Amino acid sequence: MITAGNLRKAFGAVVAVDDVSFTAPDGAVTGMLGPNGAGKTTALRMVSGLMKPDSGTITVDGREVAQDADAARRRLGVLPDTHGLYPRLTAREHILYFGRLHGINGAELDMRAGRLMEWLGMQDIASRRVEGFSRGERTKVALARAVIHDPPNVILDEPTNGLDVMSTRAVREFIRRLRAEGRAVLFSSHIMQEVSALCDTIVIISHGRVVAEGTPDDIRRQSGRENLEDAFVALAGVEEKELPQ
Amino acid sequence: MNLHGGRAVFAKELMDGLRDRRAIFSVVVSAVLGPALVLFMFNRMAVRQRAAQEIKVPVVGAERAQALVDWLRQQPGVEITAGPKDPRAAVQNREEEYVLVIPGDFAEKFSKAMPAPVKIISDSSRQTARPKVQRLRQLLARYSEEIGSLRLISRGLSPLAARTLRIDEVEISSAQQRAATILSFIPMFILMGAFVGGMQVATDSTAGERERGSLEPLLLNPVPRWQIVGGKWLASVMFAGVSASLTLLLCLFGLQYVDFQEFGLRFRMGPEIVGGLLACILPVALLAPAVQVVVATFARSFKEAQSYLTLVVLLPLLPGFAITFYPMTSSVWTSPIPIIGQYLIANDTLGGKPPGLLLHLIAGFSTLALALLLVMVATRLFERERIIFGR
Repeated sequence: MITAGNLRKAFGAVVAVDDVSFTAPDGAVTGMLGPNGAGKTTALRMVSGLMKPDSGTITVDGREVAQDADAARRRLGVLPDTHGLYPRLTAREHILYFGRLHGINGAELDMRAGRLMEWLGMQDIASRRVEGFSRGERTKVALARAVIHDPPNVILDEPTNGLDVMSTRAVREFIRRLRAEGRAVLFSSHIMQEVSALCDTIVIISHGRVVAEGTPDDIRRQSGRENLEDAFVALAGVEEKELPQ
Repeated sequence: MNLHGGRAVFAKELMDGLRDRRAIFSVVVSAVLGPALVLFMFNRMAVRQRAAQEIKVPVVGAERAQALVDWLRQQPGVEITAGPKDPRAAVQNREEEYVLVIPGDFAEKFSKAMPAPVKIISDSSRQTARPKVQRLRQLLARYSEEIGSLRLISRGLSPLAARTLRIDEVEISSAQQRAATILSFIPMFILMGAFVGGMQVATDSTAGERERGSLEPLLLNPVPRWQIVGGKWLASVMFAGVSASLTLLLCLFGLQYVDFQEFGLRFRMGPEIVGGLLACILPVALLAPAVQVVVATFARSFKEAQSYLTLVVLLPLLPGFAITFYPMTSSVWTSPIPIIGQYLIANDTLGGKPPGLLLHLIAGFSTLALALLLVMVATRLFERERIIFGR
């Protein structure tokens, strides 16, 4: 379970995240929805411990990220906003590398890597160098290496961004599997349909603040709109020209 | 202490570097270029040396000094040819390198035992002519002395009376040290090898890592930053070390084919020289990538890192310049200065005066200390949000 309480982060005069609180419980998918620049990525970077919040607390399964980031990271798998690969390494080598960084070795590592590649349907690209991979293939590699240590909590920052239909389906399938295994999944998106299709609870962020939180039904009720997209527009207070997707 | 993270980073960067054509290319080029240049220069020197021993002397007015010309002709490696009509113009137009002119009053002055004039027309700005003119001048001086001695003997005097001075030249520098002045660019090439060899890996694994967007995922692993930086640094050190050692070994291998006797020099190469040189340069292979990791981490982009680092590669040229202005040898005062210390130790080792273990230790430890300090600085940089996410 991931909890964030009263997070705040400013870059100079710009307040990127302002008093944001949310919870991502185990065995559920929590969606963070917001237009581009709303502060989603900054909030997730604070959760993963790469950015220090100006104030607020974050815990991963009860471990405070500010106190012991590494203990939290062992229980956390993250697909960050930027997930570049090493062009001269094969897909499999990427996954093995991250396993070794976690101290996993030998047969155990081979077994886990093989299983992940099977789940993501990437056996045929396993031994190819990633240079020239399609966007979908790259995302699969990044996804597999992010969860090689079998973390009970998973953060995915816009995982389907720019993917084609088939890759998007594969990623969604993977997210459902993570939930079914009882993990806490926190993922961000600016795509309405995706969030409504996958999420148990939704946190809508706009201009660095949480403007609504709850199940899709709660959100509709809060906004008084039938359509989730209309609800989002009403709650996020976005102008027409900024409409998501 | 648990080092699996640092080991994984090291192994990955090493493998990545070995697959990087640019990394391999820079190691090979820097290792081959230096030794090739050294051998080329020795070869040119040998050619010039041989050319100076065999001289062709164009003589104008040979009939006026038949005895002198015959004597010259009998000297080994001397060939007499007919001189040009206008000797000055011929030298100026580079038809001849030099011309020996015997003026009209030579025979008259010679027979009266007066100093008989001979003229050497040459252009001293021409490098290639200089050793030949030198040889000709020596030959003429010898002839002059021989005839002078004969004249004194015929007058019943000892030729020694005419010698007011006997010049004994005592060369302070040993023969090997004179060889080292020629060899002194070898340390420079070895130092360059250390700087060029690891540069690509150091840059690619830091500035390149961020530019590819793979830095954020890497830092999300529960590995201490110092192990991540340390692994990257040590992988670059491997390339720098191989590059520098290869440069050294190829240089020494090539020197076996240089005939140092020909230059009147003695150059001895034993295992203690090879070992001393290796021990001296390896700390630089630790330092150079540390400098590069810091610079590349601080740079905003891969391109920016590269343009800074091409300047850093020039660092090994500094000791050469410094020595031109402040002649130095290795000592307890110069050894702690990284790069300069190693340059001087290598120079003296090649010159046949290998410095003791103390200087090696001083130079090695101060360089290692600086390298570790820089790795600590790089670790600090890797903790900054502005560095991780770019500016």
